[in-house]
Amino acid sequence: MTPLTSRAWPQRLGYVLLAAVLLFALAGPLLWPDYAGQQLMRFLETPSLAEPLGRDQLGRSVIARLASAARLSLWLAGLCVLSAALLGCLLGVLSAWRGGWTDTVLRGLADGVLALPGLLIVLIFSAMAQGGFLTLYIGLALAQWVEYFRMTRARSRLLLASPHVEASRLLGFGPAHIVRRHLWPELAPMLLTMMSFGLATAILALSTLGFVGVGIQPPMPELGLMMTEALPHYSEAPQLLLAPVAVLALTLAALVLLRPLEVNP
Amino acid sequence: MSTIHLHGLTVYQQQRCLLDPLDLGLHPGEALTVLGESGSGKSLLAHAIMGTLPAGLRAEGELRTDGRRYPLHDAANRRHLWGELLAILPQEPVTALDPTMRVLPQVAEGWRGDGHLARDAARRRLDSLGLQAAEHHYPHQLSGGMAQRVAFAAATLGGARLLLADEPSKGLDSAACDTLRRLLQQHLDSGQCLLTITHDIALARALGGQVLVMQGGEVVEHGPASRILSRPAHPYTQALLAAEPQAWPAIAHPAAGDWLLQGRGLAKAYGSQQLFRDVDIDLAAGERVALLAASGAGKSTLGNMLLGLTRADHGSVRYRDGLPRTAWQKLYQDPVQAFAPRVPLHTALHDVLKRCGQPWSALEALLHRLKLGPALLQRLPSQVSGGELQRLALIRTLLLRPALLFADEPTSRLDPLTQRDTVHCLLDELGRIGCALLLVTHDAALADKATARRIRL
Repeated sequence: MTPLTSRAWPQRLGYVLLAAVLLFALAGPLLWPDYAGQQLMRFLETPSLAEPLGRDQLGRSVIARLASAARLSLWLAGLCVLSAALLGCLLGVLSAWRGGWTDTVLRGLADGVLALPGLLIVLIFSAMAQGGFLTLYIGLALAQWVEYFRMTRARSRLLLASPHVEASRLLGFGPAHIVRRHLWPELAPMLLTMMSFGLATAILALSTLGFVGVGIQPPMPELGLMMTEALPHYSEAPQLLLAPVAVLALTLAALVLLRPLEVNP
Repeated sequence: MSTIHLHGLTVYQQQRCLLDPLDLGLHPGEALTVLGESGSGKSLLAHAIMGTLPAGLRAEGELRTDGRRYPLHDAANRRHLWGELLAILPQEPVTALDPTMRVLPQVAEGWRGDGHLARDAARRRLDSLGLQAAEHHYPHQLSGGMAQRVAFAAATLGGARLLLADEPSKGLDSAACDTLRRLLQQHLDSGQCLLTITHDIALARALGGQVLVMQGGEVVEHGPASRILSRPAHPYTQALLAAEPQAWPAIAHPAAGDWLLQGRGLAKAYGSQQLFRDVDIDLAAGERVALLAASGAGKSTLGNMLLGLTRADHGSVRYRDGLPRTAWQKLYQDPVQAFAPRVPLHTALHDVLKRCGQPWSALEALLHRLKLGPALLQRLPSQVSGGELQRLALIRTLLLRPALLFADEPTSRLDPLTQRDTVHCLLDELGRIGCALLLVTHDAALADKATARRIRL
């Protein structure tokens, strides 16, 4: 791991931003645990020291809701990306390794999924079971695994045909060694870059679904959902809308900045 | 056309000087050849001039031409001269070519100007190099010799005034070497400058001009080729000349034992191109056999077929029973491609030791015998010179105690001194464990000395 100081400034900024968002998502719910309690008498209360972002139209603490929403977005998106990457990589390596029928079937499946817009897949799954975590997770992971599959398969095919893999096979090494020493070191840097982008896509997809009302259901706080709820009150309390937008924008910016400027050969 | 001068060219790694200060004058039409063994910093010279030194290395000095000065410490200031003034014919052409581009468009990229003219020029250049048939091939479909010629075509198409040829004859058969010599000579005759970095004494002799002999980053002898290559003054130059295979004393070979492998009626074609047919081959335990053929004739393919790596179109191979799969080993023509690129050598060799249950001391003994320092193992394969890496590849196969070693041009990339040491080490070690050798080479003199029997394909 390269020390932080030797990295380019965009990456450093990315790490700092991501750390800030993570800190907020992890510590926020502990500091402001009550995200559901309504105090209708205090609706649209202006920000104060105790409530840095004021209260919403139902008198709920905005900062508590925001922290909880950020935590939800991050862990659900993280889970989706990890599952998609794992599934995509396993199938990609399998496809490159076995070739023949396995490859044809898997490639056909991947192309089929790719032909559908990602958000549509998630929408179909969400519509099947309103707002459940599980369906959202399955939908997002299924929409994302294809890119990992395609990348891993293409790269692995080249690597598996190379003289260094042939040499390792002659030396008597099995599949585990070839994956560990030949495939993984080549795939890992690309996977990390793809995963940071994938995380951004998943977070955006989650809030998009929340915004159109098919994602996480109220009263559970979610960034997109918070935006929809805040829209009618924009003129009286703009912070209600701006706060989730800012958290979303900062998270996405951090993830985009994280990627290496160029992948080292 | 004016002379290109290099003043005080030095290469440093932090404070350590890898290449001592060097003043060179490159005159149009006169070859300058740098001779030396692997690891003597020859290649650094070319990269320092181009401005393509690996990260962590730093050049000093300056390049002067046409009244302009280019300080060498700033690698970027010569980038706009690439193709026009400076061109490099890189080492390891197979890795230097773009694997996703066909030969013709790849060569045409070197032309500055109209795309149509570029393709015509590229086609003419490929024809003159005998590569008409390969125009639409991808680099992985080319033999080492063909890839070298493609790289030559790509490097010279732009008409650069100074061509830096880094080990250009490495891995070429004698016919292709003659072609290369003629091409380099033509390049000189057209009034351009040529700096050749090589360990091929025959090439240096053919090009003539000035010769510079390097040892460990230091110039030990400098003068006209005719004098240095016939009456060398420095002991190192004398040793270098004596290390050519022609000058080796005869080597005693062990007698052939029981049969090991039988190939019958082997044939292989790639598409419409028939490489060979009806080849019968017998190898016996402990035997040393050379396989000689022109580049692109399928020597490597035949060897791979015997190891079971390539399927034969016709015919079959029988192996002696009771030998493990790891008894059939291969030494690659290009060692860089035979190691996982991102795994340190230490780890790679440790894995092999663990696999075959040998102690670390077995490796240390081999390293010592092949004159390799243990510090080398901390590096990645790409950070080690070709000669050192080939010796490490040899060590890697020796650890498995093979019954047959198929060596595919194993020393064609090594300088004469290292080649002699490596071949002697190889033969000693193989003799020690009674391993047979199938040596693919284009060097008849080497085949004569290193093997007891020769097969022509």
